[in-house]
Amino acid sequence: MAILEIKHVSKFFGGLAANSDVSFEMVSGMIMGLIGPNGAGKTTLFNCITGYYPPSRGEILFDGHRMNGLNPDAVCKLGMARTWQKVRPLAKMSVVDNVMVGALCRTNSLKKARVAAMEKIQVVGLENRVKFLAGSLPIGERKKLEVARVLATQPKLLLLDEVMGGLNPAESEEIIQLILDIKNLGITQMVIEHDMKAIMRISDRIVVLNSGEKLAEGNPQEIVSNKAVVDAYLGGE
Amino acid sequence: MRTFKHNMRGMSTLPVLLTVAAVIALFLLPNFVESTYALHIMILIFLSVIMGLGWNILGGYTGQYSVGHAAYFGVGAYTTIILMQYRHIAPWYGVWAGVVVAVIIGLIIGSICFRLRGPYFVLASIAVAEIFRVTALNLKNLTNGAEGILITDIPPFKIGDVIITDFMSKVPFYYIGLVILLIAVFVTWMLQNSKLGYYFQAIREDQDAAHSLGINLTVYKNVALSFSVVFTSLAGSIYGLYVGFIDPSTVLALDLSVQIVMTCIIGGIGTIFGPVIGAVVLVPFSEALRSNMIAQAIIDSGLVSENSGFGFFLKEQLSHAHVLIYGILLVVVILYMPDGILGFMRKKISAKRRKEAL
Repeated sequence: MAILEIKHVSKFFGGLAANSDVSFEMVSGMIMGLIGPNGAGKTTLFNCITGYYPPSRGEILFDGHRMNGLNPDAVCKLGMARTWQKVRPLAKMSVVDNVMVGALCRTNSLKKARVAAMEKIQVVGLENRVKFLAGSLPIGERKKLEVARVLATQPKLLLLDEVMGGLNPAESEEIIQLILDIKNLGITQMVIEHDMKAIMRISDRIVVLNSGEKLAEGNPQEIVSNKAVVDAYLGGE
Repeated sequence: MRTFKHNMRGMSTLPVLLTVAAVIALFLLPNFVESTYALHIMILIFLSVIMGLGWNILGGYTGQYSVGHAAYFGVGAYTTIILMQYRHIAPWYGVWAGVVVAVIIGLIIGSICFRLRGPYFVLASIAVAEIFRVTALNLKNLTNGAEGILITDIPPFKIGDVIITDFMSKVPFYYIGLVILLIAVFVTWMLQNSKLGYYFQAIREDQDAAHSLGINLTVYKNVALSFSVVFTSLAGSIYGLYVGFIDPSTVLALDLSVQIVMTCIIGGIGTIFGPVIGAVVLVPFSEALRSNMIAQAIIDSGLVSENSGFGFFLKEQLSHAHVLIYGILLVVVILYMPDGILGFMRKKISAKRRKEAL
């Protein structure tokens, strides 16, 4: 069953089309890779899906709900959560407090939120950072914190915007493992990533955006052998 | 490990005992202190703490730096006193009417101004407060304009036929101030340990991240503002009743808004006891300035001759220059104690502990 349906979504900034007529569907439980060169409109599409921008045209359906015009907080309550390309830790709050803010989306009790938060902190492996201030963490751990925080909102669909950006190979490997673990928890994921090897490994399907339009869609093997995609990335001959 | 220090908000036994002792001492104080001037200073400190704690909920915890809180102070004061003076409604009802009016006005202002972020919000909050001041100056039928309203007398507070107090001395105001102060401390403490407190701080740290974690920014900012307005308005009403006279240039002044923010910055923003410390430092200091005590002390110490130009300046001008001195004080605090006096002390204590641990 399709958990997310993107139907002919376009987003214009003035005359510039950041997304034009993008359509695809996501099946529950899958990992969808979203790739494309810089400026292809990947983050804009994320922002449209999660309520930061209303799409100029088209329709987004999540779990049967029409998402157009919903605010980010309502989107989160419906069970869709996102991370940010540039991490946004709540710097002067501790790691556990950061994750608790996410957990409080589903409960009013601090006690329950703390239990849920500790659980998610274990999922991402930050157990020995619980009382540290979020602002004091290095980038790799901030990315994990970000994931723990959105997991705590109990999403059905998770949108990860370049969670491996700026990480070294060992850290990236940990994140890849984390994404696969999250998949095993039954959470559907859409992942923006520039690291081709990583995205090919984790994705069940991949959508390629170029200049705001959908260039290709398919499983990883189909994408690497798609001529249009290779041209877009390596430059046409 | 600075990291750990900031999280030690959990209270240990010694501070709790000290706080309880201080509260008991404060309740007994009027029995021992004869000087009305000392009581006067204490009442001013209480009011300043209440305002500071109120502002702190919005500014310190939620990160929305309002420099227009005089509006709510003034609305509270004017509502209570107009009701009492012209409609003969007793102030212990009027005070709550003031709170209701101030909260409603706050929500209207909030739903407009909270669309703005950072410095733009600050500027809007100043502008709104100025609108209220100018309105009060010109709505002469209601507010008596620049002449202000002089309270003739406060009706005695009765339960049944027993007169509890007739408000003839400063003591009832002392206790009213103290009780509301304690309520404000308690409410802040409750907030800090609740979902609301977590949401307020999340909004302070990063609005967009907070929004994406399911926090409705408009709703929670307005909730923070409402808490904030309740205490500011209460302080305004009590101030008006206590002083017995209000006019736009005292209860709706930009000066007052700045002073509220200063109390928090100097004491320590986003902490329970920051505004308390800020008020304890600032109020006596500004009273000393105004009453020329400091100028006299400097001259008496022989550092500056009374007949020199500077001595003349101290004696004649210093009492009018309190705003200038506030400004200098603020710059010094921001340069050397960016987390306020409380943050500064915490840092010193943790540094000392670290040294001892080595």
